[in-house]
Amino acid sequence: MDADRDLLSVSLEMDLEWRYASGESMERFLLGVGAGRLEAVRCGVCGRRYLPPRPFCGVCRVRLDDWVPVADAGTLEAWTVVHLPILDGRTGEMRPSPYGMGLIRLDGADTTLNHYLDTADPSRLTIGSRVRAVWREDRRGAMDDILHFEVLS
Amino acid sequence: MNRQQSTDGVSVLGGAETAIALPDPRSIAEMALNVVERALEDAELRWSDIDAVVTASVDLFDGLTASSIAVTEVVGAVMKPETRIAADGLAAAIQAVHQIAAGAYDTVLVVAHGKASMAHHWNLTSWAMDPIFLQPLGVDFLTVAGLQADLIAGSDSSIIRRWAELAAHRKRTARGGIGESFTIDEVLESPVIAAPIRVGMCAPLGDGACAVVLGAGGGETTGGRAVIAGTGHDLDSHHPGDRDLTEWAGLRRACLRAYDMAGITDPAVAFAVAEPSCLFPHEEALFIDAAGVGEQTVLSPDGGLFAGTAPAISGLGRLLRATKAVKGNSGHRALAHGTWGPAGQGQAVAVVEAR
Repeated sequence: MDADRDLLSVSLEMDLEWRYASGESMERFLLGVGAGRLEAVRCGVCGRRYLPPRPFCGVCRVRLDDWVPVADAGTLEAWTVVHLPILDGRTGEMRPSPYGMGLIRLDGADTTLNHYLDTADPSRLTIGSRVRAVWREDRRGAMDDILHFEVLS
Repeated sequence: MNRQQSTDGVSVLGGAETAIALPDPRSIAEMALNVVERALEDAELRWSDIDAVVTASVDLFDGLTASSIAVTEVVGAVMKPETRIAADGLAAAIQAVHQIAAGAYDTVLVVAHGKASMAHHWNLTSWAMDPIFLQPLGVDFLTVAGLQADLIAGSDSSIIRRWAELAAHRKRTARGGIGESFTIDEVLESPVIAAPIRVGMCAPLGDGACAVVLGAGGGETTGGRAVIAGTGHDLDSHHPGDRDLTEWAGLRRACLRAYDMAGITDPAVAFAVAEPSCLFPHEEALFIDAAGVGEQTVLSPDGGLFAGTAPAISGLGRLLRATKAVKGNSGHRALAHGTWGPAGQGQAVAVVEAR
């Protein structure tokens, strides 16, 4: 076969839609987010406070139902600035780049949360920085009710 | 290798399934957790007794890739060996049987889950078809089932009524399922969905999860074992046009492998009960022909899939029913069947024997 020749390709556009059941624990969490409130769920055996919450501790193999409050501020554990635009699954639009993405350990949780970072001044992003959530005014009970996290001075 | 001995030591230790619902409001993880906890209880085992996990799910139906990530914690796969099969749950059970027979693990948990309510199921199946020749034409699993039914019907003018009778009978037998109870006339008057298949002829699809615990040994406390005496599976050509759709040749080959393993020479008299995974009446004729079961074999005593089923779980649920049959003294031996892909491209069977 001639390696220099472009072979015919067939273009297919997919338009598929699924509805995900959130489950009891994620429903409670998202309803809280809509009200500007964050909660984690604590394992009664290992004591780990999971955020996002989940129905089951995979390590101890026990159900989780001990809810504990979590602050909307915490510590930046890792950060990156992404320069490749991505498709935003919620809007179907391309998300402008560059954007910051961090792993944030909120006060009161033992796991880290993935979220956007304010990158107005990327030089302020350092591991160990204190960060706080910037909330959307028109909340709808979804993860992007928090616009991003900003570094506290 | 003496294949007859290869799976003989593997038993069904316990299992559980959710009632099929449309929709089941629970998340996939919640449904899986429910059946896993009940299966462990049924097997009188604890989480720590499980050596490995095999799950069955289909990414396209679940709306995420590697869809086993949704259930990793609730199936107890964190820090344990997990294998995921993107096919029917009986194929996952066969994988587990082979893991145990190979001596890799003593006790393996098998979990299958699927939610037809999440999206338009038949539309999704179009995306499981070849992208060059079939997807652009909108061919899906239902279209192919219609073509297959039409080929089988041929010029037999009475066959449609017989299919309607069979569907109505199975749905009446399937007490408590999600399928509406149709009379024969109601089936014949129900809308055509893929000619000659009518809505009333279809097994209803919903949401479900199923878990089965397989292990070496077993039966010490219950006094009897349900042994997996033979397994077989087969994958035929993907393109429906490459196959003779008037038969399930893949199932015939899968059965020959399982029967050879189980030492069965005459399938016509071998099974007290058969639990086929048939979504349409014409598939039952394909199953009987390919599996070679005789008139003394009771097919789908609980109505089979016509009580309702869910993507990926059917065959694993059939394995539970076959186990129930041999443990409940319905007979010495039962046959469980699962299938996946367009017009039965993938086929799996397991021979279950009381010991």
